[in-house]
Amino acid sequence: MAEFNALTESVIKGDIKSAVAETQKALETGQDIQSIIDDGLIRAMDDVGERFSKGQIFVPQMLRSAKTMQECMKLIQPHFKEGDVKAKGKVVIGTVKGDLHDIGKNLVSMMLEGAGFTIIDLGVDVNPEAFVEKVKETEADIMGMSALLSTTMPAMRHTIDALKEAGIRDQVKVMIGGAPVTDDFAREIKADAYAPDAGSAVIQTKKLLGLS
Amino acid sequence: MKVNKGTSLPFYRPLNPAHIEKIDGAARWILEHIGIKIHDRHFLELMDQGGATVDSATSTVRFSAERLDKALAEAPRKFILHSRDGLNDIRLGEDRVYFTNGGRVFRALDVNSGNYRLTTLEDVANTAALVNRLAHINFYIIACQAHDLEPEHYHLNDFYHAFNATSKHVMGGCDSLVGVQQVWDLAALMAGGEQQLKERPFFSVITNPISPLTIESNTLNILGFCCSHGIPATCAPAPICGATAPATLAGALTQMHAEALAGVAIAQIFAPGSKVLYGAVLTAMDLRTMDFTMGSVEMAMMNAAAVQLAKRYDLPIYASAGVTESKRPDVQAGSEKSFSNLMVAMAGGDCVHLAAGMLDSGNSISYEQYVIDNEILGMVQRILAGINVTEETLALSVIQKVGPGGNYVMEDHTIDHMMDEFFYPDLCERHLFDIWVQQGRPNMLSRATAMVENILEAHKDCLDPQLNSRIRSAFPGIKDV
Ligand code: B12
Repeated sequence: MAEFNALTESVIKGDIKSAVAETQKALETGQDIQSIIDDGLIRAMDDVGERFSKGQIFVPQMLRSAKTMQECMKLIQPHFKEGDVKAKGKVVIGTVKGDLHDIGKNLVSMMLEGAGFTIIDLGVDVNPEAFVEKVKETEADIMGMSALLSTTMPAMRHTIDALKEAGIRDQVKVMIGGAPVTDDFAREIKADAYAPDAGSAVIQTKKLLGLS
Repeated sequence: MKVNKGTSLPFYRPLNPAHIEKIDGAARWILEHIGIKIHDRHFLELMDQGGATVDSATSTVRFSAERLDKALAEAPRKFILHSRDGLNDIRLGEDRVYFTNGGRVFRALDVNSGNYRLTTLEDVANTAALVNRLAHINFYIIACQAHDLEPEHYHLNDFYHAFNATSKHVMGGCDSLVGVQQVWDLAALMAGGEQQLKERPFFSVITNPISPLTIESNTLNILGFCCSHGIPATCAPAPICGATAPATLAGALTQMHAEALAGVAIAQIFAPGSKVLYGAVLTAMDLRTMDFTMGSVEMAMMNAAAVQLAKRYDLPIYASAGVTESKRPDVQAGSEKSFSNLMVAMAGGDCVHLAAGMLDSGNSISYEQYVIDNEILGMVQRILAGINVTEETLALSVIQKVGPGGNYVMEDHTIDHMMDEFFYPDLCERHLFDIWVQQGRPNMLSRATAMVENILEAHKDCLDPQLNSRIRSAFPGIKDV
């Protein structure tokens, strides 16, 4: 097994600059790509995950490490041969029409991105048509909607209706969340999943895409 | 206990004078060099005409030191949030501390079943009725979303039912210009005319910028309406440490101070002399998990410090305290609420909002919690009233009279002072053990449940029947609860 201690250390620390430099060095010295990923990056993220679950590091650190890994992956990607790795999945996400709360939605995006998903963030006050258009355009696997106001929850239903009208409801999985949103409500509007927080949003996304 | 006269406020100062100057200087730098983002051409033009520095490429408004100081000088240092009967006027800027509940939650706890349910218009009426009776909740904020109302006559209804249930001052958020216009029309009819309402505005409006450093045009529409109609308002930033504000308390305070001062300054550009409260709703994330935390002890410290920052400019403040993550009226709720209410009150916050009724990070209310918090706030007011030291209270003559070994139970001096020296709680347990057992082992919560029932049963509508029928025929959009 190749040694990537400096790289692993940098990813654990969330030090983007030195992790990218280490990745560059590994590529230049002709290290095996799969080994850089497995013994360098994934080993680091396993460690990060373990430290997080023990409460030794906090969410900002975990997100920084995930971000650091992504930056390294960007360098590695051009070296992949066709079919080496497939993208995990695309998520179109936004806060529904009439609602300006975005902190929770942003956290969910960061966590999903950290877990390797591609995020297309539509921002806040997103009307149903904009969701539909983006889902079509990007051929997204998941559409995530956030609502923090009980009064904007109906917009989730309207957005799902709009997907139906556009004839693409069965092409995308719908996941919803936000403080007033419940599992029952998700069932009622026939969303595919509900998650109470960002961590469970990652678990649900993996489930929806058959990744776990 | 009456509302304290506050002669010796503040008692608690988390920032020293040099800290205040540092934070204030940094906030002014933010306003001069970074600015506030406003995505609206019309308002950018208005700010430009009002002498602020507008950068249309980035849609930001900046304030030079001179322009800021001019605006802040125009803001009134003192004004009154009127009650309708004149008995509960909120006199801002006079070193007094007033408390009010927290607003606009979406669910309520049913203590008996332990379940939560969506709130309705009836909850607005009931919580207003509670506040009307509870002596230490000095005015009412529209407490919850009325999920049984359509948007069309929304604020007409929530404010009407608040006015009908309490004659204390009513404050609330409005979703739209149409909404605030509805409340204005209703209140003007009640006041006997627009001029009368302007002279004694008995309602006021809450708006919020979006941290960091952004204000929406809808917010400015509503704030602008208030300023031009003499309705007191606040534009209260709600930055969250570690999410929408720096993770350091000083950094969050700096950003919040810039946002709050911008709110005050913009109101003065709308209409010089506008009655606007410096607003502050500082909270934090629990960075271990990224859970939102309102009841943290840092929340209490920051909101107390915010009072000092508002007082740097002698501005009355809409401050925050009394919140908790706890999901029911329990030990955590009691301790977190007591800490923050006491600390912000001891800092001298003019009106402390969120102080009563809330649970669950501001998502929920419980009727029982209103009554319990009222008791906590009564104790806080007692603390603020301080220890009265005079010849009479030193009690030397009665000490001499009773002499060594006697007792004071039946002395005139005891009877003369027993009513004003002590706070007498309604809910706290004070009996001997056996009496407590005989009474069925009551506790604060069980007593609160009974008290809620009593208050709501005894409640009578506040609006005079004749006036009420005029209101009802003028506003057919009003629903019954
Ligand atoms: C911060 C805040 C604001 C900020 C928003 C800043 C921003 N950039 O988002 C400001 C001050 C601007 C604001 C404005 C308003 N707010 Co507000 N706000 C809040 C507050 C205090 C915290 C929300 C928050 O950020 N929480 C932290 C994040 C991390 O948690 P979260 O959003 O719940 O997200 C987590 C989960 O829910 C989940 N999740 C979230 N989204 C998604 C999406 C998916 C797909 C999934 C799977 C999961 C998921 O994962 C997240 C991470 O774990 C809440 C109270 C509360 N406790 O929630 C009120 C609250 C939501 N607001 C409320 C109100 C009423 C308003 C206003 C109408 C107030 C007014 N001015 O009158 C305006 C509305 C503006 C609008 N049109 O949207 C009410 C809502 C009541 C209701 N009817 O539902 C609340 C409950 C507070 C209250 N009692 O007043 N608000």
